[in-house]
Amino acid sequence: MSMLSHYMLLFIGAALINNILLTRFIALCSFFGISNSMHTAIGMSAAVVFVMMMASTTTWLVWMFLLVPLGVGEFLYIPAFILIIAALVQFVEMYLRKYSPVLYRSMGIYLPLITTNCAVLAAATEVAKPGFFKMAMAYNYTIGEALVYTLGVSVGYGFALIAFTALRERLDIAPVPRALKGTPMSFITAGLLSLAYVGLAGWFGL
Amino acid sequence: MKEWLRVFKNGLSIENPLTILMIGLCATLAVSTQVQGSLFMGIAVIFVLVMSNTLIAMFRKVIPDEVRIPIFIVIIAGFVTIVDLFMKAFFPPIYAVLGIWIPLIVVNCIILGRAEAFAYHNTVWLSIADGFGMGTGFSIVLVGLAFLREFFGSGKIEFFGTAILKMPAGYAPPTILMMFPGAFILFGFIVAFMRWLSERSAARKAA
Repeated sequence: MSMLSHYMLLFIGAALINNILLTRFIALCSFFGISNSMHTAIGMSAAVVFVMMMASTTTWLVWMFLLVPLGVGEFLYIPAFILIIAALVQFVEMYLRKYSPVLYRSMGIYLPLITTNCAVLAAATEVAKPGFFKMAMAYNYTIGEALVYTLGVSVGYGFALIAFTALRERLDIAPVPRALKGTPMSFITAGLLSLAYVGLAGWFGL
Repeated sequence: MKEWLRVFKNGLSIENPLTILMIGLCATLAVSTQVQGSLFMGIAVIFVLVMSNTLIAMFRKVIPDEVRIPIFIVIIAGFVTIVDLFMKAFFPPIYAVLGIWIPLIVVNCIILGRAEAFAYHNTVWLSIADGFGMGTGFSIVLVGLAFLREFFGSGKIEFFGTAILKMPAGYAPPTILMMFPGAFILFGFIVAFMRWLSERSAARKAA
């Protein structure tokens, strides 16, 4: 397999076939919490792509060059990764507030929420310490693969979130039984949406 | 009624993290494919919740307000690491099923939420009661959901490889319950049912 198609498959696998929201159930809190308005969903998706890329790069580097050589990876990876993400988010927020007020206004308020967004921790753990998702590869990611994988995960997150938000806006005016109105109906809609993703399972042997 | 009993019951009913507050959903929907795994997940969450609540309540007077969130997260991450290593060492098959969900307990909103909303402002004993109540409320819904999904979705309940409960022969299980869409749809109906129940009891009280 050529290099390019290898990366393409990694991207498609992470974004669509193993979609983090609808087939892995990761980050559902944000999925139901902020899918009320299109504006918020787009802002959050952009912020997640941005933070996830930085977080995964950092955790990959820390895992490879700090935790593994010191022989403490197994014991310290959870506190180390979550602290890296929390610190990173804080720095990004401070930097944006000072140097790019426009960007800060559009995605600044989502940044603190991202610290506890499980998708970031999940992707950051997966690229540094693979094997949790039982993907085809059992070896360690190279830095290039880690970046492509993370990009795939975060784009898949944004895609599913925005699609779901669009569905929910319609749902508000749809006639549904009273007990199902609101949250229960959103769950059922999410179920139907994830049913579509089941159809993708098995493509390209991923 | 004793104060701690009231706090404990809060977590089970009127402040149930899953059906009322709607937090900690990710783990619930993902793990609830088998009763066995859910039971262990429930125990892991109760352990982390009670321990982190205890420690945070103990030190609530010395934790500075500005850096409390990082401190909470480090405390929680420490207990999650204990669970992670313990399960990997003593229950490898279950660890293989739960996988990423054990490290992800760190960012489970229930635990940080209780630390911030309850343990930081209350005494140690009350915080322990709150941890047990919230953890048990979470576990009951989780295991209940897992029971419905495993029993009706695969036709039997398995515990360490032996079936303890079986559907009559000839039952064709709807596999969708075991897959991810089934979890969403079933949970939607459970929430609707709970809401219908509470609305009905409220209407009765009013009448």
